[in-house]
Amino acid sequence: MREEIRKIQQLMEAADYVTDAPVATSVHLATRLRKPLLIEGHAGVGKTEIAKVMARMLGTNLIRLQCYEGLDAAAMLYEWNYQKQILHIKLHETSGRTASEEEREIFSEPFLLRRPLLQAITQLDQPPVLLVDEVDRSDEEAESFMLEVFSDWQVTIPEIGTIKATHPPHVVLTSNRTRELSDALRRRCLYLWIDYPDFDKEVRIVQLKVPQINQTLAREVTRFMESLRRMRLAKVPGVAETLDWAHALAALHADHLDEALVGETIGAVLKDADDIKRFRAEVAKSGLGPLLATP
Amino acid sequence: MVRFAAALRRHGLPVTPEHVTDGVRALEQLDLADRDEVRTGLRAVFAGRPEDFATFDRVFDAFWRAATEADRVAEALAPPALPEHAPPGLERAGRETLALDAWQEGGDEDGGDEPVGVPAASELEAVAARDFSTFSPDQLDELYRLTLKIARRLARRISRRRRPSARRGRIDLRRTLRANLTRGELIDLRYRRRKRKKVRLVLLCDVSGSMDLYSRFLLQFLFALQSAFSRVETFTFSVRLTRVTDYLRARSYREVLRRLTAVKDWSGGTKIGESLAEFNRGWPALVDRRTIVIVLSDGWDTGDPDLLASELLRIKRRAGRVIWLNPLLGNPSYEPLTRGMAAALPLVDRFAAAHNLAALRDLAGSLAL
Repeated sequence: MREEIRKIQQLMEAADYVTDAPVATSVHLATRLRKPLLIEGHAGVGKTEIAKVMARMLGTNLIRLQCYEGLDAAAMLYEWNYQKQILHIKLHETSGRTASEEEREIFSEPFLLRRPLLQAITQLDQPPVLLVDEVDRSDEEAESFMLEVFSDWQVTIPEIGTIKATHPPHVVLTSNRTRELSDALRRRCLYLWIDYPDFDKEVRIVQLKVPQINQTLAREVTRFMESLRRMRLAKVPGVAETLDWAHALAALHADHLDEALVGETIGAVLKDADDIKRFRAEVAKSGLGPLLATP
Repeated sequence: MVRFAAALRRHGLPVTPEHVTDGVRALEQLDLADRDEVRTGLRAVFAGRPEDFATFDRVFDAFWRAATEADRVAEALAPPALPEHAPPGLERAGRETLALDAWQEGGDEDGGDEPVGVPAASELEAVAARDFSTFSPDQLDELYRLTLKIARRLARRISRRRRPSARRGRIDLRRTLRANLTRGELIDLRYRRRKRKKVRLVLLCDVSGSMDLYSRFLLQFLFALQSAFSRVETFTFSVRLTRVTDYLRARSYREVLRRLTAVKDWSGGTKIGESLAEFNRGWPALVDRRTIVIVLSDGWDTGDPDLLASELLRIKRRAGRVIWLNPLLGNPSYEPLTRGMAAALPLVDRFAAAHNLAALRDLAGSLAL
């Protein structure tokens, strides 16, 4: 194993992220090859965490672009602060300025709202980590726009001029796979798939992130979550839910699972009314036993 | 590395020259003595989907074996053998791309360019005109792959067709401001053209008996069209209704199709009306003016046709468009005489077949509001 990759693994673990060789290798290649890293996986398995840990590892800023349906260039790149501009015009109505003087004034730095992509390319000290979160929630147009920025690393603002990137950022994109991403984006990126962790890994994660929980309970919780994921649920719970539940149980000073406790706290794990109904029916029929059993 | 990339390409992975350079650069960063590390690293470069991982691993293992096993390597690199009686149109990988383009022009409702005179196109037409049920099981894999390819291209075309509306919409502040710099008041208003919103699809697929095969193709097709729609919700039904949307997301197509078999219910026949009622009761919010509802069923119903009519009417009132797909329509002598079908027919906006690739291609034309 390459020394750098081993070091990355150590650094990630030191930042409280339980990792493995594929993750560390992809992070290593992405930073060295300067290619964007596309991370896909189910909800709540720790994709966003990787970007945060990368930023901590590299000792740099994390700039986050949260994607949503209808995300457009203005929200990604920049927008003029219209209200401020209008106020400025009003205040200087009687000052006798010419139109071009006024224009130069209001289309300048203090009136520019920098959005994440622009922020990412204008960092002063060192390249930041640019996290494009849930890129599957935006659309193909937004993707092509991003790809353009990622290839040229410069942005043209008509009123100001062309801004070249000071330090091209490390780009990490995450996707929950609710939509097929475009081929163009896939070709441009390195690819990492994060699956649900296996039993041992998930127990390690719980013990690392919720140190106050006891061993037995941690194992019970993990076994339980594994069984849940095999049920036909509308919203399959991820590792994030495991941790939420572990925190809740620890706060209640629980040391083992029983029906009453599970019934009270299931809301930390299942977030859909139909799922909860199905779960309760299942427990009413066969109790907790099968859910806690080793498969 | 170039040969490795070529091998991957032969096995269906979309590999570009840029991947090759990245592959070489990646090797510089990896411990070449550690086989797993090299595999993981190259996989991150070359495989863009979890479905491709298995293929990548196979090619990787075959390719990077010791030099003394040259013969075995050569054998392993041969592309997967197609069944002897594969229809001619499916074999020519090289000209397939051209053929696909030409063939799709023929299905474009806007009337595309004249079809290019590529011989493979007519063979493709022959394949596309054959009912799905006439293919042998080992040919189906190839057919699925083709369906996917076609759907992806159509998705791009559907996205492009959405043009901004010419009607006035919200005020465009930026341009308004520019137009009023010399005055204190905002008199001259400029408008922003409204972005056309994306359509939502709801699929209700009959998976009882023989309908199963057609459902699979339709699902495959629409799965790949996903990018053109804001949301695709899928349900299967025979006696009961099951929501399978989430299965279509994070899994491979193979697994989706396998799960569909688990959902199937052989006993009791189809109860269309009851299933529609369950849909209306359980997911009322899914259907609105921006939604296209597609029902795939042959109309053989053991339930109550009046219930079918009333539930379908409820859907029709709320939906932007209701399409009923019946594979039996592929048979020219078919008449919708069963009670179920007769009850449903007057309530749908479009009644079409879905029994072969040509029908699916034509369907894509109706998927815009």
